[in-house]
Amino acid sequence: MSSYVDKDYFYYLRGRELLLYKLLGSRNQDRITQSGVLQQYDNELVYPDEDIANGLRVEYTRVSEPFVSESLETTLAYSSGTNISFGGTAITSTTGNFWTTTSGFEVGDKIRIKGSSSNDGDFTISTFSGTNDVNMVVNENIITETSGQRIIIQQIPKEVSSPDSTSHINLNKMLSLAVVDYCKAMISDQRGEIDKKEYYMKEFFGKLADNESNKRIISVASPINAFAIK
Amino acid sequence: MTVLELMERVGIREETLAIAYIKDAIHLIQSNTKEKIDIHKQDIINAHDSNDNVYILPRDLIAIENVSILDTTASKYRRIKRLTDQPHYVVEDTSP
Repeated sequence: MSSYVDKDYFYYLRGRELLLYKLLGSRNQDRITQSGVLQQYDNELVYPDEDIANGLRVEYTRVSEPFVSESLETTLAYSSGTNISFGGTAITSTTGNFWTTTSGFEVGDKIRIKGSSSNDGDFTISTFSGTNDVNMVVNENIITETSGQRIIIQQIPKEVSSPDSTSHINLNKMLSLAVVDYCKAMISDQRGEIDKKEYYMKEFFGKLADNESNKRIISVASPINAFAIK
Repeated sequence: MTVLELMERVGIREETLAIAYIKDAIHLIQSNTKEKIDIHKQDIINAHDSNDNVYILPRDLIAIENVSILDTTASKYRRIKRLTDQPHYVVEDTSP
């Protein structure tokens, strides 16, 4: 049983490895008998002395799904309701044409389910069936579940593992334009036009910064009247 | 934006080269900002010898956002602090 982990655990990065340490203190008084007991002035660190399933969690960035079948700007299908139930391979709504006309889902879309008891996850739509398309059938098996809970179903980008010229870049418009600048910079570099390369890389990082600042609802105002002190 | 549209804007004809450049650009974007975050989980084991506290980072990692440990009493992950220096080993006196 692990507790106060934010105070007891520490990590150190060594190349491709993460080294985990635990503080030997008031709650952890059993010194483990191994060669790896560590001393740091008055705080003694030991190796982890407990099993924790899925205990270590790392949030990180990587090149994940770089190409998708549809642009992010048009990946908009969304539905939410308390009248959604699950059974077999079908997700059922009591409202007619709820999936197609109201929500905008299409065959082949990748969807993410949230809020259900047993069916949270990603699925792919194979077809619609029933009177007024009340059943949205998916390729994967789902667990039977009655309606009642508020469930959200949202379209998510579908990865293209073998990209070609028709594939979309899995970035929004601003970052896609930044990628254009990056490609221009690399071509300038190939041609030995270093000044152009520098210019396009500056444009690239400028668009990255714009994209970040666009997410933050912050405005900075500075006085411009005659008595303003700058 | 499609790969073809990018190729036309940039003025290159080689599709494979364009795809390679796009991947490089996304790599650089992920290195400088947090456009898309992934999560990797591993079991923590009760250490018995000198290498049991070593955990391999995800092979495709570009930048670490944070590291946390599962607090099983609260069923929540809590962020932990990073040591800037590796602690020095001492030999335990097993027969004091």
